[in-house]
Amino acid sequence: MSRRRKHQAVPLDRDASGRYLPLLVAIMVYLAALALAGAMVANKLASRWDSGLAGALTVQLPAAAPAAENATGNDPVLPAVVALLEQTQGVIAVDAMQTSEISALLEPWLGDAVLAGDLPLPRLIAVTVDAGQPPDLAALRRSVLAIAPGSLVDDHQRWLSHLLDLAWAVEIMAIVIVAMVVCAAAIMVAFVTRMGLAAHEQAIELLHLIGAQDSYVARQFQNHALSLGLRGGLIGLLCALPTLYLGRHLLQRINSGLLPEMSLLPHEWSLLILLPVASALVTMLTARFTVLRTLARMP
Amino acid sequence: MVRFEDVVLRYGKGPEILKHISLQFDPGSYHFLVGASGAGKSSLLRMMYLAQHPSDGRVALFGRDIAGLSRRETALLRRQIGVVFQDFRLLEHLTARENVALPLQISGEAGARSAKDVEELLSWVGLADHMDALPPTLSGGQQQRVAIARAVIGRPSLLLADEPTGNLDDRMAVRLLYLFEELNKIGTTVVIATHNESLVQRFRHPITRLSGGEIDSSGDSAAAPKREAP
Repeated sequence: MSRRRKHQAVPLDRDASGRYLPLLVAIMVYLAALALAGAMVANKLASRWDSGLAGALTVQLPAAAPAAENATGNDPVLPAVVALLEQTQGVIAVDAMQTSEISALLEPWLGDAVLAGDLPLPRLIAVTVDAGQPPDLAALRRSVLAIAPGSLVDDHQRWLSHLLDLAWAVEIMAIVIVAMVVCAAAIMVAFVTRMGLAAHEQAIELLHLIGAQDSYVARQFQNHALSLGLRGGLIGLLCALPTLYLGRHLLQRINSGLLPEMSLLPHEWSLLILLPVASALVTMLTARFTVLRTLARMP
Repeated sequence: MVRFEDVVLRYGKGPEILKHISLQFDPGSYHFLVGASGAGKSSLLRMMYLAQHPSDGRVALFGRDIAGLSRRETALLRRQIGVVFQDFRLLEHLTARENVALPLQISGEAGARSAKDVEELLSWVGLADHMDALPPTLSGGQQQRVAIARAVIGRPSLLLADEPTGNLDDRMAVRLLYLFEELNKIGTTVVIATHNESLVQRFRHPITRLSGGEIDSSGDSAAAPKREAP
């Protein structure tokens, strides 16, 4: 009624719990933001690996023995396998990698010896296949082995499935962490609300005696919790943003072809920005539910 | 309006505080509940403002048995009852103005007009200069007047007052009892519990005397309230 300030019938803003709740919510939102960003990156990683390696085969021929080379010094096995692959139904493109390309790939792990040609190198053929109508892999393996015994036809599925499992596990763990953070926040708010109910028992009794319904009392608590939850959520998000930036920066420094671009898309950012709103809603609904449930048990 | 039938009250397993009370206060009536300290006046009032259920017997308010009321119905019924508590029960963090406006805010009637009503009422009880004062800064008598203003602001159908003049000088006490009379004239049923016999004698209203948790029928029969047959 007063023009000078909006008053609360229950003076919750004077409680000590009110001072710590935003801090606790901020920590929860910080953790949730990191976990959510982790889940989104893991999802992106899995999608990239899945789409990047779908429709690709690698044929690895053993290193050519000097005796196997013909008079011109070339190994006749490689062109024969390339020709076989090109004639195979479902194969779109065949690219026999040059020795220099293979050496360059192995150089970071094996050193200059590879470039000097001191080590026997396998020959690699990158094959692009029609993902919709892939070739019969078992038959292709048999045909390749008939021409080049000891060769490998790798569709990457074994390796890829392990990586995808890892990415999904990271994603699920992140989602579980978010769920646990929400549960922890709800338990914490319920506890603080019960403390508030006990601390303001006399004021609440008076409000009831002059005609307040439980929903009126619950509104006092839920509005207070909404404000604290929103404040804590914003603090948590503001703290999470530099951490996410730092994480992205560190991952970019790895400079590995395995990792996708780590920047989040606009819709992914909007999910993170909604976290303070979500935290405010969780605290508000928890406070309301706790008050109504506690008061309903009273005589 | 208020009907007690063979009502017994005890707290826990303790002794009977009220013993087989039967009484009826008709709509628009004005009653004094008189008795010494510990006679059971406050306990009787507590049942009338729905803070206490009887251990035995039946209490009906506005024609409804209070035993069968839901929490929502209880809240709505309480909005028709104004109470002046013996210990005032003002919210210390709210100003006098906000305390008085609280029943209107709860019932959703708060607005510019009700704000004016609050100011007028506070002026009438002599607190025009203390509208924005917090209760701890007010004297006992001033707090009591805020409590009285809060009880009557919603124009209740039933006004219950527990020692409403305990902290007031005689002049202000009489003035407030006349305020209650004015409310009574527009249909409010008034029940005042007091130990101040001399004050009660200034008004010709029915008196119910309580002694040891029972109605003392040896009192002024002419002023006795209408009672139910046992």
